[in-house]
Amino acid sequence: MMSNRSAPLIEIDIRGQICPSCLLTTLREVNRYQADLKCGETALQVRTDSREATATIPEAVGNMGYDVTVDKAEGHYLILIQRPLKP
Amino acid sequence: MIDHPYLVIVPASLVLGLAAGYVMHRSDFCMAGMFRDLFLVRRTRMLRMLVLAVVASMVLFESARLLGLLTPYPFPLLGSPSLASPIGGLVFGAGMVLAGGCVVGTLYKLGAGSLLALLALVGLIAGSTLYAEIHPWWSALATATTLFPGKVTLPEILGWSPTPLLAVLVLGGGLLLLRWYRQDGWRREAAAEGYLQPWKAALALALIGLISYLLIGMPLGVTTSYAKLGAAAEATLIPGHFADLAYFQTQSLDYQPPIGDLRVSGGPGPGLDGIAAIQLPLILGIVLGATISALLLHEFRIYLRVPLRQCLSALVGGLLMGLAARMAPACNLWHLLGGLPILAAPSLLFVLGLLPGAWIGTRLLTRLVLRP
Repeated sequence: MMSNRSAPLIEIDIRGQICPSCLLTTLREVNRYQADLKCGETALQVRTDSREATATIPEAVGNMGYDVTVDKAEGHYLILIQRPLKP
Repeated sequence: MIDHPYLVIVPASLVLGLAAGYVMHRSDFCMAGMFRDLFLVRRTRMLRMLVLAVVASMVLFESARLLGLLTPYPFPLLGSPSLASPIGGLVFGAGMVLAGGCVVGTLYKLGAGSLLALLALVGLIAGSTLYAEIHPWWSALATATTLFPGKVTLPEILGWSPTPLLAVLVLGGGLLLLRWYRQDGWRREAAAEGYLQPWKAALALALIGLISYLLIGMPLGVTTSYAKLGAAAEATLIPGHFADLAYFQTQSLDYQPPIGDLRVSGGPGPGLDGIAAIQLPLILGIVLGATISALLLHEFRIYLRVPLRQCLSALVGGLLMGLAARMAPACNLWHLLGGLPILAAPSLLFVLGLLPGAWIGTRLLTRLVLRP
């Protein structure tokens, strides 16, 4: 299976911003790059310091059929959104 | 032998603040967000946990009252219901959503390094201070619209014992919580390190409120101190104008605390009085509790690159909240986890105003602040 992780990343940085900017900005970007995301042409990486966003973004974007992983890096969270990984 | 109440009040407030700040940071227990998400994304998972905190506080407060442990009852600084309560709640609801956090949300976010929370705090102090300018006619309006003078709680107004009324509400609330538990569970999936489940935070906050009531004689509240901080600045900067403001001469607090032999009094003026002894350690504790939590997780960071529009929103939201917290009087924490659990009529009216206020705040936030 070809990994999506080699796809070019679109990065958005929402650290320090007001709630719920994190979720709304992410949803807007997911919709904007919907076609490329769905076919694995690109992946979206969100940088956030919002602890709440580690619950809301995976829930909302996961419900849209994407694969979402959350990692911690240097005091904030990296949320990677990509096309659904095949089972 | 403890003879001076401050020997209990000051350390108790600090420790309770530390605990509350730590708990709220770990679970991101943002009350402004709970009300906002109800209108923005129609999600109520976090708001349900606020219901849990209120129901748990009802059980704890009423049990303690029946055991004779709650003195004074109702707690001080609660007035009779008037039009001031729902209007204050309305303005407060809009302000907290625009600020991105309520009066305590702002404190725990500030503790983790948020620039926006600092701006909201500046707005809160400014708004609380500005209230002194409208105090004469606002208090006249509150007096003119007071219902049931001399009565504070719904059971007092109805002439009933609080226990049966609370039992029915706790039963209803409990059934609702059980239904939510069966539907979706209370557990929230979050990848944040050291995440505290919000249901645990809700129960911890109810317990912290009870301990505060038992030791200090009232639940958690912070907002009169914001007026105090502003008053201290105004007295230094424009002493002539400050001397003309009647509000800062008022004494809103005068009560006998549960522990100690002396009465404790205080008001919004700049002195180090009973209000300062109760609230300033609590404020400091919440900020430090969140800082400790954030440092332990290596998440304390200050990000300065924040859109100007959001900075203005935090400042204006804070100002509206500060003004509203004096108009109502008191804040969401005081009313939701203090007044509501004992069915204080001003708190019920405050919440009635808070809901449409949060709706207005959400509309303004998405149209003016976060527009693409």
